[in-house]
Amino acid sequence: MVDTLLALLHMIIFPGGVFALAVGFFFKGLDRRFEARLQRRVGPPLKQPLLDIAKLLTKETLIPNTASRTAFLMAPVLGFAGMAVCAAFIPVPGVYHGLTNMGDLLVIFYLLPVPAIALMLAGSSSSSPFGALGFSREMLMMLAYEVPLLAVLLSVAMVVGKGTGAGAEFSLAEIIRYQAAAGQLGFNPIMMPALAAYLMFLPGTMGVAPFDIPEAETEVLEGPLLEYGGPPLAMFQIGSALKTFVVLGLGVALFFPGTLGDFWLVNLIWFLCKCLALMVLSLTLVKAATGRFRIDQAFWFYVKYPTALSLVSLVLVWVL
Amino acid sequence: MNSLLKKLSVRSPWLFRINAGSCNGCDVELATTACIPRYDVERLGCRYCGSPRHADVVLITGPLTARVKDRVLKVWEEIPNPKVTVAVGICPISGGVFREGYSIEGPLDKYIPIDVNVPGCPPRPQSILEGVVLARKIWLQRLGVEE
Amino acid sequence: MAGFLKVLFHNVLDGPSTDPFPLGETFTPQRFRGKVVVDPDICMGCGICRHVCAAGAISISPRPDQSGYDFTVWHNSCCLCAQCRHYCPVGAITLTNDWHNAHPQEEKYNWVERKFVPYVPCADCGTPMRPLPLSIARRIYLNNPDINVERIITLCPKCRQVEDARTHSSCAWPAAAKPGKTAGEGAPAKADATAGDAAPKE
Repeated sequence: MVDTLLALLHMIIFPGGVFALAVGFFFKGLDRRFEARLQRRVGPPLKQPLLDIAKLLTKETLIPNTASRTAFLMAPVLGFAGMAVCAAFIPVPGVYHGLTNMGDLLVIFYLLPVPAIALMLAGSSSSSPFGALGFSREMLMMLAYEVPLLAVLLSVAMVVGKGTGAGAEFSLAEIIRYQAAAGQLGFNPIMMPALAAYLMFLPGTMGVAPFDIPEAETEVLEGPLLEYGGPPLAMFQIGSALKTFVVLGLGVALFFPGTLGDFWLVNLIWFLCKCLALMVLSLTLVKAATGRFRIDQAFWFYVKYPTALSLVSLVLVWVL
Repeated sequence: MNSLLKKLSVRSPWLFRINAGSCNGCDVELATTACIPRYDVERLGCRYCGSPRHADVVLITGPLTARVKDRVLKVWEEIPNPKVTVAVGICPISGGVFREGYSIEGPLDKYIPIDVNVPGCPPRPQSILEGVVLARKIWLQRLGVEE
Repeated sequence: MAGFLKVLFHNVLDGPSTDPFPLGETFTPQRFRGKVVVDPDICMGCGICRHVCAAGAISISPRPDQSGYDFTVWHNSCCLCAQCRHYCPVGAITLTNDWHNAHPQEEKYNWVERKFVPYVPCADCGTPMRPLPLSIARRIYLNNPDINVERIITLCPKCRQVEDARTHSSCAWPAAAKPGKTAGEGAPAKADATAGDAAPKE
């Protein structure tokens, strides 16, 4: 009973729910602001993502006559729910060690594609040809970037498993404990290709340039989101903010879970700084400097570089 | 709470362009407001969105040609309320240099209630920004909230 | 590869190059083509601006009581091509650099430049007419120092012909006779017409 309550608390307040939302929206605002600065613009205020949500809540909801009503309205909720659960599993090194002590890496791997699946559901249920196009593009992108993600997670699990003698360790708490003892994986030469692959995976999964192909507003009119407006679209945006927190937090937990002393506030701020650095490096810089790939270019990019890099790490871990 | 949401909502006007048979001059000026750092429309919380369902402020260019009339009206109907319509350039306002042409159905306010006019051929990017600011004011009035 | 990183780095260092408008002031080029204005003191009402206007934004409508004419420029039709300024013989119509053009729909039909240009009676016969600006008249009669420019601009075209005939000896106008309305030109014109009509018949 107490465990269930505690888990619920973790899901609603920290690190999932309120905390993850706050961090996600703050990071999204920072992202837009910094992108503008990189392009010599002033950019929107930091609270702009929240203002967007406020605006969307005041708009009316339109549902196409030909759309599948239930699926159309459930898709954003599904994406949000997946990420809200996932956020509770993200450990904050030195502050919070994760919801469970075993196999949470696998849970995260299965929950991470949920927003993409929700987008596909949205695209196919909206009965719009652009939605269907966005659906197929999203599917192709997902197929392309899930392989390197799997290889990255596997290689991390195997490095830690070799160190602790467990074969493969799928507990994030164990992974962090191992790195505290044996040095952070981000500075380990065999894991560098995996880190690079994870950095390349981030823009794809967040759907930002140059991989914003499924939601390309100039080609397929925002693709799956075409028919959404008002509160359901706000739901998608909230889900996206949660996802920002999840993927950045996961990256920090996997590669740089170092702590500064024992005081929780310092560790929390240090965690956020590392998340921010990860975001600027892999999302903002790339977004500010690039245009958009064609879907085949993006697919082959993911099949070639991140997959190859992550497999190099995996093989190195296996052999050494 | 509701009025606070409404008050905040005008600070995120998402823009949507409809080309009603424009010569592209005004469309280029609209693009400059987003793409050239000097004008940076994102500062006002704006974003050019690709779908009419996301739009709050509709920027219509062009004199409404006979071929495009039904499509423009259809797309305009798709935009959820509350919406503010801005006519950019002299063509949607009066027909401009194309007025009384054989293929021109305009001016636009015969079919769509326009809220803000931004004349010019094409208007300056600053003029368009001025129009967006004016549209925000009208949006607030429509929501029934005092600024 | 490193080239774009360098550009981005310099962008961050240099800071935003955004114009503060609409939150602050902006620049306006001196020769920017903005709203059209007309000077009712110089305008002669020749109508060349209305003729060359690409968008048909100019309307010149005489008042029924012959007190003058209304000169209207519709800013909502004007395409800012400045043809009117180019062709205006007296320089009465110009383009300012005022570009503050956005206005709500209620003001659509008031968004005009409307000037009333009054007629002035001819000094001799009292016919309503628009006087030529003095500076323009001086330029026109630069090579004719014997013409009294100040007087001639107060006369209507017909009285000007009469005046010309009276002051120049090449036309033998009887000094005693009063200037009539049709006596001077009516007779030769009639003679010409009869001659022209007669010629093909022969």
